[in-house]
Amino acid sequence: MENAILFAPETICLIMGLVLFFCTVLNWSYATTRGIAIAAGIAMIAACLWTLPLEGEPFFPGIYAVDFFSQLIKTALAIGFLFVVIASANPLTVDRNGWLEVPLFFIFSTLGMMMMVSATELLTLYVAMELAAYPVYIVVALHRNADIGGESAAKYMVQGMAASAISLYGMSFLFGTFGSTYFSAISIPQATAQPIFYLGLLLTLAGFFFKLGAFPFNFWAPDTYETAPHPVITFIATVSKIAAIGILCRLLSLAMPGGWESGHAQTALMWASVIAMSLGNLAALAQKDLKRLLGYSTIAHAGYVLLALQTFAEWGLTAALFYAIGYFAMSFACFLVICEIGRSEDRITINAVSGLYKRAPFLSFTLLIGLFGLIGLPPTVGFVGKWFLFSAALQRGQFYLVLIAAINAAVALYYYLLIIRQLYWVEPSTQNTIKPTPLIAITAMATIILVIAMGTLPGPFWDMAARAARALIS
Amino acid sequence: MPLLSSILLTPAITLIILLLMPQKAVRGIRLICAFSGLLTCLLSLQLWMGYDPTTGGIQFEEIIPWVAAIGISYHLGVDGFGVILVMLNAIVYFTGVLTMWDLEDRVKEYFAFMVLLVIGVFGVFMSLDLFFFFFFYEIAVVPMYPLILIWGSGNRAYAGMKLMLFLLAGSALLFPGLLAIYHHAGLNTFDLIALSAHTFDPQFQIFVYPFLYIGFGVLAGLFPFHGWSPTGHVAAPSAVSMLHAGVLMKLGAFGILTVGIRLLPEGAAYWAPTFVVLAVIGIIYGAFVAMRQTDFKFVIGFSSVSHMGIVLLGLNLAILGPVVIDALNGAVFQMFAHGIMTALFFSTAGYIYDKSHSKTIGDFGGLGKQMPRAVSIFIVAGLCGAGLPGLASFWAELLVFLAALKTYPIAGVIVILGLVLTAVYILRVFNLAFFGAPNPKWENLKAQDMSGLHLIPRAILIAVLVIFGFVPRLMLDLINSTTVAFLGNF
Repeated sequence: MENAILFAPETICLIMGLVLFFCTVLNWSYATTRGIAIAAGIAMIAACLWTLPLEGEPFFPGIYAVDFFSQLIKTALAIGFLFVVIASANPLTVDRNGWLEVPLFFIFSTLGMMMMVSATELLTLYVAMELAAYPVYIVVALHRNADIGGESAAKYMVQGMAASAISLYGMSFLFGTFGSTYFSAISIPQATAQPIFYLGLLLTLAGFFFKLGAFPFNFWAPDTYETAPHPVITFIATVSKIAAIGILCRLLSLAMPGGWESGHAQTALMWASVIAMSLGNLAALAQKDLKRLLGYSTIAHAGYVLLALQTFAEWGLTAALFYAIGYFAMSFACFLVICEIGRSEDRITINAVSGLYKRAPFLSFTLLIGLFGLIGLPPTVGFVGKWFLFSAALQRGQFYLVLIAAINAAVALYYYLLIIRQLYWVEPSTQNTIKPTPLIAITAMATIILVIAMGTLPGPFWDMAARAARALIS
Repeated sequence: MPLLSSILLTPAITLIILLLMPQKAVRGIRLICAFSGLLTCLLSLQLWMGYDPTTGGIQFEEIIPWVAAIGISYHLGVDGFGVILVMLNAIVYFTGVLTMWDLEDRVKEYFAFMVLLVIGVFGVFMSLDLFFFFFFYEIAVVPMYPLILIWGSGNRAYAGMKLMLFLLAGSALLFPGLLAIYHHAGLNTFDLIALSAHTFDPQFQIFVYPFLYIGFGVLAGLFPFHGWSPTGHVAAPSAVSMLHAGVLMKLGAFGILTVGIRLLPEGAAYWAPTFVVLAVIGIIYGAFVAMRQTDFKFVIGFSSVSHMGIVLLGLNLAILGPVVIDALNGAVFQMFAHGIMTALFFSTAGYIYDKSHSKTIGDFGGLGKQMPRAVSIFIVAGLCGAGLPGLASFWAELLVFLAALKTYPIAGVIVILGLVLTAVYILRVFNLAFFGAPNPKWENLKAQDMSGLHLIPRAILIAVLVIFGFVPRLMLDLINSTTVAFLGNF
């Protein structure tokens, strides 16, 4: 019974997934299906909150762990799932025949991510990772315009599979070194000093770098962001980032005993971080497509997160987890607005948001807050999050690294401000007003509150992230 | 409720009320803002009266742990400098609201952004925690972009972007600098007072100080990083220029003083000669460039660069020892005096622009006969800028120049020469625009001279300039009590 309780979020996710599957079989209306998915999201959140303080290893000791870390991430994933389903009110960019599949594949992908963050064994991790990835490969392809859908899906899927193959290769190294696939066997301090351990670890990270859009697995991001249907990219840009950062924390915590001192993996991660943030920000400067621009910006943000992770310290993990939740909120604020204003547009250029202030004041305010967050301005979580991330690197004395990151943040200001200028200053090209439904308005409000609350009262959130980080290390 | 939090919360509550008010209630919005401005003025006056200069040091402290695990706390407190600058901000806030009374376009948003800026500025002047200091510092910068972009004039998209990029590039230097201080001290606290008790390794101080000085200096109009300031001031609407040149630039100087010099005195002393040179160049350069401008606001903008150079000069001289205690007194006095003076300048120049839609000096000629009141007020501000005795700037500049003559006689002579240049460019404006034959094109302005409500904010500003011009002791006693304690630390 105790095991069942510990496993409750995943169970609910699975059962509701099956219910959604019947919706597609019975060809129910999209509104009903979405309503069920929303109910599923709420049930998942409740289950996650219920299991938040619990710890244990349900069913398979050593393979699957429930602790504060996993449950915190699962809570965030459940909230993310709910929000994305709400945002997909009118998935006009999705092929009409595929509408019902969208919530279905989202929930199975979420299930995969939930299992991923609880996995404490390599093969479980790998299977969960694939479960999280495949449904998304499919929905990316469900664009109403087959040419566009084909392009984005091909890029996303081919690169995703290559990355996951590299991950598998890395796992074989870890297995070869330790003779076990259990994390408990891998994180033995003495054995982690070997260079082959770090090689294996870095290769294993590949699959999750892909999800995060971190260098050198970032190349799909701009194209897929630009061409994937809006609700789908919202899912990729928000929910899967939380899982990616979470699992990176889990894997890097394995190397914490000697990761910094040996320097093997640290140097590689540091360069990945510097290249990701510089590349993302510089490339974003030249973009005209809003989603593509956010695709490059996500690469830059992956760089900021790696900046904290490459410190191999508790502070770094805490900062990264804090930022994962904060980034989810900021990014969702942007994509929610994109889903609303781009209901029937395949592509959204920066000009498409011109004068949105007049057409939809509240949505444009939501986007403004999201952008302020991504820039890193107070009182949003973007500022506090960067303060923590940069602080993690300075704890290791990496002054110049932080300087590079901070200069990057200043460069990024330019392209974000261009969007803000379109929003508030340029005259709208059409007079069509956009009125969000009450549910979407409430969700937008909740996102804004989360962004501001984490930015002004970071204490409780930091403590939660710190508790999760400690759960990983112990 | 504690006094400092009340001052900080007054605009914060105003902001919330503003956001909840309907767009159309323009009159109500103005009244609420004016009331909130007046309230902060009164509270600041209470702060001024309540501060005990005989004890000196930090008073009115409040501490609430914020993120206890890593030592962030909501720690407010003011020393003599803080009291003065809080007062400055309150005055400029109140008079700024009155100056923008006639605004019709997107009134609600305008005042919301302006109040946000005011919150940031108050926060910086009161914060004794590095995190909150930087937090409020950035909050004060954020609203500048929409304010300039939406309500500005001229080349505003360019000016707003330039301003933001400069200021955030400055913040990029502050980020590693401030965090390095925290981690290097290893005290697990961002508390300024706790950190100031720690003696940092001299090598570290010499390394980090320039990051703080230049990072904050960008906002203070430090030469050669001042480029954003004249263009930004010109494009911004009047009250934003007032707040910006009057108060926001002081944040930079205040940051250098209260974070840079307080925490890293040895680093500051090491770099002081270099930065004295930059400050002197800034003073002279600003004055020379101001002389060639054809646009009212550009003249004032470059004069700000020049006058803020005096503040920076004073700060750098002060580091060189208690012998030049006058330098710090003068620098802080100048922050206040320049703030009020520039506010008056921009408030009046903005008025003339709003009525005539021209900022070109050569366009006018004999405007003194057409708008005698507005022009007289502008002349008072100008004379204050030129350092006329009887107005507040005189004392401030005198103190800094005397200190400069004592420590670096050559620099002292050069900056006094700068004062002559100031007189030249200000008299040039008077001569070209205000005196001489009236331009018939502006006859219609006769009916639109300042009257009634328009005169109130300007009268307040002039009164402040005159009071402190004739009774500088009111200010100097307060500053001096803190200066002695401040310099005694190193």
